[in-house]
Amino acid sequence: MDQRMSERISNVVKFIVLLVFGILLMMPFIWMVSVGFDRTANITMPFPPRLIPETISNFNYGIVFENGRLIQSYINSGIVTTCSVFLQVSASLLAGYAFSKGTFKYKRLLFVLVLCTLMIPMEPRLIPLYTLFNSVGLLNSFWPLILPTVINGMLIFLCKQFFDQLPGTLREAAQIDGAGEFRIFFTVYLPLAGPIAATMVILSFIWSWNDFMWPLVVLNNQDLHTVPLYLASFSLENGTSLGGLTMALATVSILPIVVLYLFLQRYIIQSIALSGVKGE
Amino acid sequence: MVKGKVSLNENGIEDTLNINDDLETIKSKRRKAALTWYMFLLPSFIGILLFMVYPIVESFRLSFFRSNGTIETFTGLSNFQMVLTSKTFWNTVWNTFFIGFFQIFLTIPLGFIFASLINSIKHGQNFFKVVYFLPNVTSIVAAAMIFQFVLHPEMGVVNYALDAIGLPTSTWFSDPSTSKWGVILLAVWHWIGFVIIICLANLQAISPEMYEAAKIDGASGLQQWLFITIPNMSGTFAFLLITGWIGSLQRFNEVYVLGGPNGSPARSIQTMGAFIYERGFTGFEFGIASAATYIMFIIILIFTFINLKVSKMQL
Repeated sequence: MDQRMSERISNVVKFIVLLVFGILLMMPFIWMVSVGFDRTANITMPFPPRLIPETISNFNYGIVFENGRLIQSYINSGIVTTCSVFLQVSASLLAGYAFSKGTFKYKRLLFVLVLCTLMIPMEPRLIPLYTLFNSVGLLNSFWPLILPTVINGMLIFLCKQFFDQLPGTLREAAQIDGAGEFRIFFTVYLPLAGPIAATMVILSFIWSWNDFMWPLVVLNNQDLHTVPLYLASFSLENGTSLGGLTMALATVSILPIVVLYLFLQRYIIQSIALSGVKGE
Repeated sequence: MVKGKVSLNENGIEDTLNINDDLETIKSKRRKAALTWYMFLLPSFIGILLFMVYPIVESFRLSFFRSNGTIETFTGLSNFQMVLTSKTFWNTVWNTFFIGFFQIFLTIPLGFIFASLINSIKHGQNFFKVVYFLPNVTSIVAAAMIFQFVLHPEMGVVNYALDAIGLPTSTWFSDPSTSKWGVILLAVWHWIGFVIIICLANLQAISPEMYEAAKIDGASGLQQWLFITIPNMSGTFAFLLITGWIGSLQRFNEVYVLGGPNGSPARSIQTMGAFIYERGFTGFEFGIASAATYIMFIIILIFTFINLKVSKMQL
């Protein structure tokens, strides 16, 4: 009885600690939304900070949307991310499958090469990639953002791990029926790869949507800016003036990701955990 | 053609020849199959050659030249000399390590404690998971934008709260002596969700039998945490340490938003990545930037190697 009581108390205490710290973590978001709706927040921020604005208005949001660059940057990010995800996931599925079920010369060596790409950061590749795309006249287009995503060692690794768990006997049955390797892949294994494909799409989406340094280097044309680039240029231009507008802009830029996250949270969290646990 | 010859022979010979025939087709089939497998790998390996191998080799070559992208002159090791004797560069190395060190050694213990708390409560586990991970899904660029205001010395909500409970306030991003702490706070806020999720996944993988056995021996909750949980998590900590450092040493996005390419105020938050960006793409000094990327690359490799060694010792 006594022990159950103390267990109960410790549970409540833990819950309260987690709740308080959770609110602290959410505080920047809460404040962001509040200031975004505050009509008077553009000259100076409301001080002392308040949760409910004095005059609630969608003035800031009106300006953010009227400007048009936000919507354009959304469209741009949408195009780039969709193409990158498709390219990256397809290429990684093919390669991951081959490394798992294939029999060919230099398989180990080639796989080690794939793992080596995990060690290579973006920075040393920045300038040569820039001059490469410059020389073929593709700077200031979406191609430099899409094409290099074709190789992703992490996704190939995760994919190989997944196919390793599927039995090879599935192949043999199809082989006896005389199916070629590509047909076996598309008709037998790909339909079973739903869970890993979903994980790969999620990870690839997050990486591509948040990519910043490389797009910053190749896109000078404002009309092609992706969402993070537009945010950064707005922030660098205005600093800490125009608080209301900045917060409205931040809210609108974060909202779709947050909504997506809330719907898919189980899968997203699983994917992140998988990339971490298997990444060991 | 072979078949025609065989028909003249006796039955026995015909059979062996047929086997030879089969072997031939099997071999060629294998060769064909191997070729198909290489087709599976083709997109990825075109990518590796074009976007990994070529740039790495080319930037190594560039680091020995003075170049602005069109005109090149060979200058030997002078780029490396220039970078390695540059006070600005070493300042960025210091900034990068300073921010990274405090980010990592604040976030990993804190994240682990919160993961343990979440793991031990009966109700609301999923709710807290979702809440704590939320900062990590928002882009660091948007987060930096918000933090400029949250940490504003006069009108920010953090200073207001600190003042209200009687703690000293800080100048955060507006002063070179405190700006790094602003970046650290942002980095901890953004990374802690990731640490918690990874810790939780691994906490749940520890076999419950170990806890059962400890309970029978009369170990308290805290003892179980200290002597079962923590030793079982050393692999996870090693993973977080290594990925944390690799990420920290490449820090760029948030410091670019907060301080521009030269890491204002007074280059106090300029990182190695920002130095490379500044030299390469605002000054178009490709040779110097390439040399700096190689120095950075080597620093990352050495440091990762050290981390691997250190964490192996703990395992």
